[in-house]
Amino acid sequence: MRPFQFHSPSNAAEALQKHSRDQKTHYLGGGTNLIDLMKEDVERPDHLIEVADLPFKEITQTANGGLMLGATLNNTETANHKLVRKNYPLLTMAMLSAATEQIRNMATNGGNLLQRTRCPYYFETSMPCNKREPGSGCGALNGANSKSALFGWSESCVATHPSDMCVALAALNAKVHVGQADGSSRVIPFTEFHRLPGDQPEKDTNLETGELITGIELPESEFPDHYYYYKVRERSSYAFALVSAAVGLQMQGNTITKAGLALGKVAHKPWKLENVERYLEGKEASLSTFEAAADLAFEDAQPLSKNEYKIELGKKTLVQALVRAAARS
Amino acid sequence: METKTKTGIGNPISRLEGNLKVMGKAKYSSEFSFENLAFAQGIQSTIASGRITAIDTSEAEKQEGVLKIITYQNALELKGYNGRFESPSTKGISPSLQTPEVHFYGEYIGVVVAETFEQARYAANLIKVTYAEDQHQTNFEEHLDSTYKPDKANGNPADTSWGDLEAGLNQAAAKIDVTYNTPIEHHHPMELHNIIAVWEGDNVTAYASTQMVENAVTTIAETFQMPKENVRVITPYVGGGFGSKLQLREHATLGIMAAKMVDCPVQLTVTRHEMFTAIGFRQHNRQRMRLGADQDGNLTAVGHDTTSHTSFTEEFQETCGLMTRMLYKTPNSLVTHRLMKLNLPSPRWMRAPGEAPGSFALESAMDELAHELGMDPAELRIQNDTQVDPSNDKPFSSRQLVECIRIGAKKFDWKNKWNPKPGHTQKDNWMVGYGMSASSRAAPYLKSSAEVTLKRDGDAVTAVLKTDATDIGTGTYTILGQTVAETLNLDIKDVQVELGDSKFPVSPGSGGSWGAASFANGTREACINAINNLKTLASTDEDLTVAELMKQAELNELTATGTAAPTEEFDDYSVYSFGANFCEVWVDKDTGMVRLEHFVNVASAGKILNPKTAYGQIIGGITWGVGQALTEHSEVEPNHGNFITRSFADYHVPVNLDLGKIDVVFVPEEDYIANPMGVKGIGELGITSIAAAIGNAVFNATGRRVRDLPITPQKVITTPVTA
Amino acid sequence: MKPSNQPSSQDRKLGKEEEQLLDELGIFGQSRRTFLNQMSAAGISLMAVPYFTSDVFAQAPKAPDLDPESLLNALEVNLKINGDTYPLQVDSRMTLLDALRERLNLTGSKKGCDHGQCGACTVLIDGKRKLSCLTLSATCKDKEITTVEGLAQGTGLHPVQAAFLKHDGFQCGYCTPGQICSAVSLLDEAKRGEVSYVTENVKDEVTQLSDKEIRERMSGNICRCGAYNNIVQAIQEVHSGKAEMPRWEFATEQELEASRTAE
Repeated sequence: MRPFQFHSPSNAAEALQKHSRDQKTHYLGGGTNLIDLMKEDVERPDHLIEVADLPFKEITQTANGGLMLGATLNNTETANHKLVRKNYPLLTMAMLSAATEQIRNMATNGGNLLQRTRCPYYFETSMPCNKREPGSGCGALNGANSKSALFGWSESCVATHPSDMCVALAALNAKVHVGQADGSSRVIPFTEFHRLPGDQPEKDTNLETGELITGIELPESEFPDHYYYYKVRERSSYAFALVSAAVGLQMQGNTITKAGLALGKVAHKPWKLENVERYLEGKEASLSTFEAAADLAFEDAQPLSKNEYKIELGKKTLVQALVRAAARS
Repeated sequence: METKTKTGIGNPISRLEGNLKVMGKAKYSSEFSFENLAFAQGIQSTIASGRITAIDTSEAEKQEGVLKIITYQNALELKGYNGRFESPSTKGISPSLQTPEVHFYGEYIGVVVAETFEQARYAANLIKVTYAEDQHQTNFEEHLDSTYKPDKANGNPADTSWGDLEAGLNQAAAKIDVTYNTPIEHHHPMELHNIIAVWEGDNVTAYASTQMVENAVTTIAETFQMPKENVRVITPYVGGGFGSKLQLREHATLGIMAAKMVDCPVQLTVTRHEMFTAIGFRQHNRQRMRLGADQDGNLTAVGHDTTSHTSFTEEFQETCGLMTRMLYKTPNSLVTHRLMKLNLPSPRWMRAPGEAPGSFALESAMDELAHELGMDPAELRIQNDTQVDPSNDKPFSSRQLVECIRIGAKKFDWKNKWNPKPGHTQKDNWMVGYGMSASSRAAPYLKSSAEVTLKRDGDAVTAVLKTDATDIGTGTYTILGQTVAETLNLDIKDVQVELGDSKFPVSPGSGGSWGAASFANGTREACINAINNLKTLASTDEDLTVAELMKQAELNELTATGTAAPTEEFDDYSVYSFGANFCEVWVDKDTGMVRLEHFVNVASAGKILNPKTAYGQIIGGITWGVGQALTEHSEVEPNHGNFITRSFADYHVPVNLDLGKIDVVFVPEEDYIANPMGVKGIGELGITSIAAAIGNAVFNATGRRVRDLPITPQKVITTPVTA
Repeated sequence: MKPSNQPSSQDRKLGKEEEQLLDELGIFGQSRRTFLNQMSAAGISLMAVPYFTSDVFAQAPKAPDLDPESLLNALEVNLKINGDTYPLQVDSRMTLLDALRERLNLTGSKKGCDHGQCGACTVLIDGKRKLSCLTLSATCKDKEITTVEGLAQGTGLHPVQAAFLKHDGFQCGYCTPGQICSAVSLLDEAKRGEVSYVTENVKDEVTQLSDKEIRERMSGNICRCGAYNNIVQAIQEVHSGKAEMPRWEFATEQELEASRTAE
């Protein structure tokens, strides 16, 4: 780990001010990703600003019937919160599929959104990686890419976003609230929060330097009854997904009236399936409908040399998530 | 001997050292404290082949706390390989930093010593190494035409044959010719390899996590060209080994060298990332199996050809065909082993070297043959049982394989559950399958010494047992305490066991499933000698208690040593443990995720010293088998030649949820040819054939025969249904 | 071994401490008799703490003080561990795990990977299980830290520790402190009704854990020796209060005889 100065501001304004003054500065949430990357010599900040104890630890109901999840509340308490379990069980399920209790007890909601990729080229400092070292090349493009992206990748980067929570948030149409150094704030729709790599894979999100996530807003509960987060992985627990699917459905009888869908570990960002959501609206829930939906979801997939299997696996994962969501009563 | 104690051998007592372990008070090698302890951090190569042309340490040297940076340019001169290409030995030398040559990615090329751990880690990242890189050979597929026949495969003949394989295949009513692949796997004991090296004048003490104390002394003495008397190795607790701590490796050399060069105690811990390349691993084995049988299921031919890889500096090959040579009777047999050299680290012994991958091929092939024959796979094994080892015509000292299979089948309800048609049972989205396998593992027995000291206080006698044996989680403390309690007829409360110090009498160390038998017999000899000495001193032939004997001899303290060793008779027999496995797996019919529901293991492994710790060994072996079958594999990066699976997040050892219910049945066995106590090893029997049982069950569930481990979701969904 | 070799509970009297331990484990009446029959001598060594005479264990604690001059970005932090406060000057990079092991001689917490991927370093921070290897010491001010060394009360083991010992929930022992801290926390989480990914419907609170729930909730603690099944038994016994029986047995003479002929 490189030497750094540690700062522990007492409020958000102080944290934002501090960040705007110093170069090579990182906010430190639960540290479950950042400290790991610093030990790997991948992240090399000169300053760490502790934000985990800043007072964004509440879960509150919003005026329009939704919920605001504080950015510094940890993943365990968020996932187990009575209102989250009752109204957004899809989010609970996705969050609990990730990592372990120990890590969820540390990881903050804001930090979960800022997880870096698990691409091994990003971690191994001796290998090329444009995300870690812009201009060094993408080792995975023609290398070990069996777990790399199917959608939206570029010649510069084929990495995927590792979060489970974010897949559910994409399906649930969440919004991200961020604070800025001048005291103002802005709201970013979830689909616009993360970005595709293009020729700037070092940027995972559309956050501006120094912006601080303060909360995650969920709209009024839409999928409290028919939901499923299906995570396929190489170990039954404590493993990142090969591919995952978040499904929320509204149903009248056997007819789907509304759908919220996203895939995980297939792109540089949680992969929202807006066209499939529209396709399902008004359809009868049946295996053939779901299989057609899965075909549509993967229509534009562009496999690399070693990850074509993820198309078949991804389709089956999505179908299973749809079947299980629809079957819930 | 009729025992008065309830804590002698055979009883399921809790581990003697268990209190210390559950309280966090057991001291592992990195947990000894010293004034002025410095911390060392290794540096590993980042090319797979070539040589170092320049090392820039200037930035690192400037950093606060940095005491020394050691590379090949300033390292102490050690005994080196000098170009020899030899098989590794558990007491072989471990030279490091002697040349600028790089043979694989992740080879130690330097070490930084600093006042604190953080300083050492940071400075190591600042060192810039320039290489002249050669084209590396790391792709197994590309070098299949460069294979050769090694002199030996882990000490066994590379090739054996009898009869005529082709003829046997030609006369078979059913035959198979299939190829299996087992991937690169890593040991990864939970305790990181570690050393604290402390020099006092010309003497060095190494607090080092090792399975074999005496061999570690030899390695240090030979590597540093110093007398063995000047070396002491201490390792009271070892946080797992699984073969990776048989030989003291290069990190220990670096720690000892660093301590010498900075003139203070030095601690060096191998990081989890470094452990992928620094301590050996299990290599990729490609195994072609050719089996033939007549209509009744009698094997007419057994062929097993293994191709694997070693490094450019040492020759090592697992004997994958070992079990194939001795498990079933057949008139025609051909077993071969071939090697290629790759720019990967030298492979080493890993839990059941040979049997673990070999049994996957043999016992999967037997299942495939049973399927061809339309025969119950359990019956096929029974049909081909033999009481004479076909590889050397020696009788087995004891062999209860058929008993294991039949008892296991009954416990599992195999006859009612098993159905040869894949897809026979579905539960929701799960396809249910059943699989079985047979297993065997050699039960070696080696010379082992111990010392027992009896102390008397009035009518009370306590005993302290000392040997340089290790407890790597296997239960050594406990079974030796029980052996003392049994032999001296004391209560276990009054017995102390001390292990893992080269000052103690020499044992063969923990490895190869010989530990329990060798240590326990050595301990028993020491106790018998103590009683005999006491009888002499007390001038009596009566079977009195040790307290009575000591009283009569007017002694308050007595020390006796003893050594046990195999007799010549041992060599007249083939001495093995045997077992049978039955399992139920559920396979998700869409995503191919596999869940282990239930496992039944039956083991015939001589006298069970403590069924509680023996059960631990078996469930541990099964857990390893689950990892081998479902999750563990290392992938070589195609362009750079490193392991792209580089952490516990990429290399998946099983977690708690990967396991299911496990029942174990021990089959009573009295085998006094094996050794006077009739003890056989069980730690490696436990992993043997587990992966085959699981793979066979996956086939039974889905009709998909995945011949390349591990059986991942990707492989299940891309393997065609063939039944 | 014949079953008759196993001692029964009738022929030995329990010591006071053993009685107390069994009470703590919630094993009463018939369960207690069954437990003692099955586990025979387990109770004896439950209490046995071996001492070691070797000079190896006569060690001075590691020097807690470093020259602050040699530390870059040094920070002062009062670490509250197991009820004691340790004022420390630490490098800003020093993790809680390294502070415990290298500065405070609290080596019960283990370093198994140093990257949050194994759980060996698990400790309780303000009552919640967390990974000390990914926790900077600097972030621990004003927090109550409990390590494995702080679980036992007086001379008695914590019920989870006693259950691990009884059910052989470990082999080499290296992951054990992390497993035990995790398990202690898991029991509290269950009392709070926390759900998990294997919970059928996360809208329902879960207070009675199935073995599968325990497995999922313990999957953050890797045991390479593979003692998982025993760990589940140990935790389930403390959680449910019902005695867990060993899953090993010896084949009887009759079974052995029967196995020697085909049916």
